[in-house]
Amino acid sequence: MESDRCDVVVVGEGIAGFTAAAAAAHRKMKVALVATGPGSIVNGPGWLKAQDILHASSAPELSEAIAFFCEMARRAGCPFAGDVSTAKYLPSLLGDFERVALAPLLLWNAEPRDGVATVIIGVQGLSSFDENFMAERLNEQSRSMNSNGTYAGRQISFARDMGTPVTPLRIAQLFDRDADFRKELICALRAVASGFQRIFVPGILGVDSSAEQIAEFSHEVGCPVCEIPTLPPSISGLRVFHRMESYLRNIGVELFRGFPVEKVELHDGVCTGVRVAAPGHAMNLRGQCVVLATGRHSASLLGGAYAVLDQEMRPLDSTGAVMARNLFIAGSLPHSTSNNGDAMRILAGYRAGNLAASTGGNHAA
Amino acid sequence: MRPDDLAIDNCLKCSLCNTVCPVLAADPRYPGPKRLGPELERLRREGISTDTEWVEYCLGCHRCDLSCPNQVNVSEMIARAKATHRKPLIRGLRDWWFARPGLLGKLTTILPALSNFALAMKSARYLMSKIMQITPQRTFPKYTRPDLRSPAMTGKARQRVVFFPGCFIRYNRPELGRVVIDLLERNGFSVEVASSECCGVPASANGDAAVARSLARANVRAMAAQVDSGLRIVTACSSCGHMLKTAFGGILDGDKKFAGAAREIASSTFDLAELLMAQADAGELNTNFQPADLRLAYHAPCHQKSQGIGRPWYHLLRMIPGVTVEDMDAGCCGMSGTYGFKQEKYAVSMEIGEQLFASIRAAQPQMVATECATCQMQIEHGTDFKAIHPAEILLHAYDRQSDAE
Repeated sequence: MESDRCDVVVVGEGIAGFTAAAAAAHRKMKVALVATGPGSIVNGPGWLKAQDILHASSAPELSEAIAFFCEMARRAGCPFAGDVSTAKYLPSLLGDFERVALAPLLLWNAEPRDGVATVIIGVQGLSSFDENFMAERLNEQSRSMNSNGTYAGRQISFARDMGTPVTPLRIAQLFDRDADFRKELICALRAVASGFQRIFVPGILGVDSSAEQIAEFSHEVGCPVCEIPTLPPSISGLRVFHRMESYLRNIGVELFRGFPVEKVELHDGVCTGVRVAAPGHAMNLRGQCVVLATGRHSASLLGGAYAVLDQEMRPLDSTGAVMARNLFIAGSLPHSTSNNGDAMRILAGYRAGNLAASTGGNHAA
Repeated sequence: MRPDDLAIDNCLKCSLCNTVCPVLAADPRYPGPKRLGPELERLRREGISTDTEWVEYCLGCHRCDLSCPNQVNVSEMIARAKATHRKPLIRGLRDWWFARPGLLGKLTTILPALSNFALAMKSARYLMSKIMQITPQRTFPKYTRPDLRSPAMTGKARQRVVFFPGCFIRYNRPELGRVVIDLLERNGFSVEVASSECCGVPASANGDAAVARSLARANVRAMAAQVDSGLRIVTACSSCGHMLKTAFGGILDGDKKFAGAAREIASSTFDLAELLMAQADAGELNTNFQPADLRLAYHAPCHQKSQGIGRPWYHLLRMIPGVTVEDMDAGCCGMSGTYGFKQEKYAVSMEIGEQLFASIRAAQPQMVATECATCQMQIEHGTDFKAIHPAEILLHAYDRQSDAE
């Protein structure tokens, strides 16, 4: 029973949906963002692989879209480093080095460095992260890359009950909530950091923490701190998700979380909104235009009817006609076999958000 | 959420439910929704005993359900495990009462003055903590004569609605019920008060599935005819609304006689603010608000979020000229109805609330608006700020007009 209170309805809280919502909101649209749950960004490190960017680098507007995304991330307090032309090798959760073009700042400085001794921190009882395994892997990997940087594992422990097993989530939540715990962590890191030029920790530095809070923490430790991604829910990906979601809320995007869109309302070539399967009765969210940023789910929402998009990212039906003039698709195409990659998600979200914004709106604040 | 048994196969163990669980964040020993829900559920379905007292610590906030990308009904699995968990005698007795706020209300309001006197006595509270394991830290809400009646029909009403008051309004704050009726009447509705029972949330929360089921049946009987004739049901308590909208949590699903009517009730139930917001969208909300110089903090109760209706109160309050509203968005308050009254859960309840308390203290509002009665209690217990139902603020804005129309 909500309704015409928005200009643009964006469906999906992944990278494409966030970018689309932000792009439309920046163009003074009143935006509603609907999602069943978080997009896949929460499962990974939150970085953009170089292969995606290079693969897509010929796409027009890519640089502009990436610049927009980075500006959104900076304002959200989770700044990214990198750009569309360079790549770095960053440690993955398996102790490999992956080629990354763009990553959250906290992950960005973890590339192999000549002559740098890095300490990898484990926490007593922590599940799914082994500092010695990680150190061994990174030593071997960096040798094979002709880097003479070295890695050594060290374990820290805490006096308090950290739960059984200790999870990165638990430590990250304590980091957010408890100033005493942060002090304890600073002391523990200082104690093992002497003789090292860099500290790698698993994803534990807060689920909600901002770049400033982490910079202050790193300053207190007195040695540069980088994060290594961990298993899902990956704290670094989750942090990007949390920060971006609160940023969107702060710029006036209305969030509808927890229930799936059950129908996209199409009438005579116009999309009038979406129907959300809330308990009891559906909630009808009406908007001047709709962006579906639900990846492959978009196809089933449209009855599996579309195969391709036109120049303006609108789905075409089997006869080649535009299904709705105000409906835009951002995210993976239904019949594409390749993973379109995060770079394309950003680009598609950016374009769809802008197209939606230029299609009009009269509820802007 | 997928309210079916196959939902368990949708669990990919991504742990996102764990990231939003208020209990897990407050107590590291809590196994978390992923473990207590889908993981143990697989074993329970194979008949392997996995009984653990931890299921008692689930708040029933439904945040896990809302966070799941695959719509697994995590909290429902925990609730079912809770219903078969055997409690120690004393806690069992205490929870027997906590599951029956309707009965408690009926008894205490025979002589409300005496009940309030007794419940406020230091010695009584000491005894309750010793004998019943009810925390002496909290005060009980005052009981009052249940005198909420359907108002007389007014001539110009356009639509008739049924108001489901719930136990708190019925036995503790009937005047809040009159505020709700007044708001509805000022917006063109005529109101009849449902002759309903407790919605059953406390029964479910205390693991008493049988009571929850019998209350659900009684409520279906009480309202089926009204709903059949096309009337909508209005709730002003978010937990009652949640219960009615989920067809009593699905507990009547297999019930041939009642399931259909329960679903009818679910689809006909509207939160008060949801209904008023629909009026606003149709251009039919009475917006004769007098300006008020008021800085509010708004806390959305968990059972408001679980209704999937957005933030109607947040938007309605902001329509009053001069009122600023800051959405705290600081998670669960930790009270969860009777949960916070339980001695063994008091500490974790307060630890959960600390996030919200800190946000409220930082915002320094003149008061806090939240539509759940026990959220209000928790906020007033954990901070120095007054917390009231947003309906009272909205009505107050009308009241100051030099009585229009």
